[in-house]
Amino acid sequence: MSILTTRRQTAAAGQRPRKLQRRAALVGWSFILPNFIGFALFTLIPVIAGLALSVMSWNSYSTPKFVGLKNFQTMLADESFWVALQNTALYALGHIPLTLAVSLGLAMLMNHKLKGIGFFRVAMFLPYITSLVAVAIVWNMLFNPDGGPIDQFLRLIGIANPPGWTNSTAWALPAVIITSVWRDMGYYMVLYLAGLQAIPRELYEAAEMDGARAWQRFWNVTVPALRPTTFFVMVMLTVASFKVFDLIVVMTGGGPGRSTTVLSQLVYQNGILQGNFGYSSAISFTLFVIVLTVTLVQYKIQQRQER
Amino acid sequence: MEQFAMKRRTFVTGALGAAATLGLAACSGAAGTGSVQNASGKTTLTVAVWSYATTPEFKALFDAFQAANPDIVIEPVDILAADYEAKITTMLAGGDKTDVLAVKNVTDYSQYSSRGQITDLTDLVKNQLPASKLANLDAFNVDGKYYAAPYRSDFWVLFYNKTLFDKAGLAYPKNITWDQYADLAKKLATGTTASGAKVYGAYQHTWRSVVQAISSAQTGGNLLGGDYSFFTPQYQMSLDLQKAGAIMDYATEKNNKTSYNSFFEAGQAAMMPMGSWEISALLADKAAGKTSVDWAIAPMPQVSAGSKVTTFGSPTAFAVNKKAANSDAAQKFITFAAGEQGAKAVAAVGIVPSLQESAITTAYFANKGMPNDDLSKAAFSPDTVKLEMPVSPVSSQVDQILTEEHDLIMTGSKSISDAIAEMNSRVKPVIASK
Repeated sequence: MSILTTRRQTAAAGQRPRKLQRRAALVGWSFILPNFIGFALFTLIPVIAGLALSVMSWNSYSTPKFVGLKNFQTMLADESFWVALQNTALYALGHIPLTLAVSLGLAMLMNHKLKGIGFFRVAMFLPYITSLVAVAIVWNMLFNPDGGPIDQFLRLIGIANPPGWTNSTAWALPAVIITSVWRDMGYYMVLYLAGLQAIPRELYEAAEMDGARAWQRFWNVTVPALRPTTFFVMVMLTVASFKVFDLIVVMTGGGPGRSTTVLSQLVYQNGILQGNFGYSSAISFTLFVIVLTVTLVQYKIQQRQER
Repeated sequence: MEQFAMKRRTFVTGALGAAATLGLAACSGAAGTGSVQNASGKTTLTVAVWSYATTPEFKALFDAFQAANPDIVIEPVDILAADYEAKITTMLAGGDKTDVLAVKNVTDYSQYSSRGQITDLTDLVKNQLPASKLANLDAFNVDGKYYAAPYRSDFWVLFYNKTLFDKAGLAYPKNITWDQYADLAKKLATGTTASGAKVYGAYQHTWRSVVQAISSAQTGGNLLGGDYSFFTPQYQMSLDLQKAGAIMDYATEKNNKTSYNSFFEAGQAAMMPMGSWEISALLADKAAGKTSVDWAIAPMPQVSAGSKVTTFGSPTAFAVNKKAANSDAAQKFITFAAGEQGAKAVAAVGIVPSLQESAITTAYFANKGMPNDDLSKAAFSPDTVKLEMPVSPVSSQVDQILTEEHDLIMTGSKSISDAIAEMNSRVKPVIASK
């Protein structure tokens, strides 16, 4: 008897929360829905369609024809793909650590209670909100080997043969990296600034009491406390680096030759310009897998460090 | 409690409804406007063109057509010239209903026609147009069918600044060879303009055609052949001129995005190999008082002396979108544009029409500000005009490769022989793939 009552009671008690839960979930879904529809229409469905296209031959007008892995075979045999992959990797290798270091350094500089610090913070953030085309054109002028201020300065300090920057196959990529670091540093600085301000002062005080010098405080307090911020910044930078397109198109157009051609540019060339949407989708899918892998690896490392 | 739940349910329903409406709105946005006639009963014809404001021929053609066909109103679909090809490709892929498409070059034409995106106009071209008088019509022949009709046919000539030649005491470049051209360029590269800018003997724009298409036209080398050794002499000459400071450095040109038109108009170049479209720009700018350059044209320099004049060029055409909302009006427009009335309209703004008739050429030279000397007239009728780039499904891919390697040669990043070897090895698999 008592067992029966208990059971009935549990059943009744379990039913209500479940109903409530379902209702709550429905309300939650209804809030997400408008955004999700936009995401599905303009991101999810195109991404899935892109994946499907990567195994087809399609010129945007014909009926897509299934070709299996032929597009991927073509890609592996395409020298331009390897050139672009290498350039993309080099760009990421330069852009990620440099931006990370510069924006952290700036954030630490800007994390002082000085009069007028707001002005400097805004000044550092300005490049990020400036039109990218304007940024690219102005930096191109600065880099101009024929009378541009950067090379004039380098000559002034005694460098007889300053780099040819965007005109040179060796220096075009560094020129693009420098520009992109300058442009992005303000944004990541703000993220780091928020991270820095969340570190409790007591930690520094305790470290100081223990006799830690500035450098030791940086390594043992600041860096570990900023780990979640650094992880976020790293992921954002990685994704942005692998997707880089606009800056390169305006600054160098991928040249001289193919010295700054990156993967997303190859996707554009093959798809939009030459109408090989299947092949172009195969490259963009590969790019997606690369970014996903790198991000997952970063995530795993982050998890291990947390432990 | 019950009331609260009720409210929530209403809210959920409302949210779902709103979301569904948004979804529907997004869908309906994709459908075309497709209105064939406007309120006043006139047909609206949409025509895709590039940089409408700075390409006067389009307005000239539209005005003339509307005057002759008062029941049709043309609505230009203006696209930035540099993005034209990519934008049209995207529009067509999206099922756009724009009636008429201006076809910028033959490479694009072959893409649109091979994909079946434009209407077969064979009947129109053969029966309603003076086909035999249309220059470059053959470039649009795809297995005996025509999917576009050319209304404009440009070819390359040598523009020169008479003042600079007179000042140097040199004779105008009449039927010269490339060696003589190089020699003249070096001699003419002296002094500065009134505003203090350096004067160059010649200006060669960054396009690969300046070196490659002329080599191909004059030596018979095939731009889609996979063996590019025939480029060598022209590259040697260009690099030599660059080294001597007789032409502007390629890298600087590219970096500064130099406008060839402003450069020549400012009197900074004594000679400039360029397409005949530059004539219309010079006529317009001189009429507007933007430049005072005293210019004329001569035939393109040749490989050997006394040979016939061979140059290259490229036709521009109109095609009808297969999904056109007003196909009949579109065909009417094309018949007009490629025919005599269209030719007169474009000739009046200094554009070389495809239709070649002595009356139209006379009208062309009667334009205000047009040089009327014999050399200019001779330059206007070259013996042979080869197509700038042969038509093939791989033209666009090969163009990309040749452009990249051209860049490397001209910036001095690669030797001529290395770059040509690279062109050969990169183009061969592309040709084999089709």
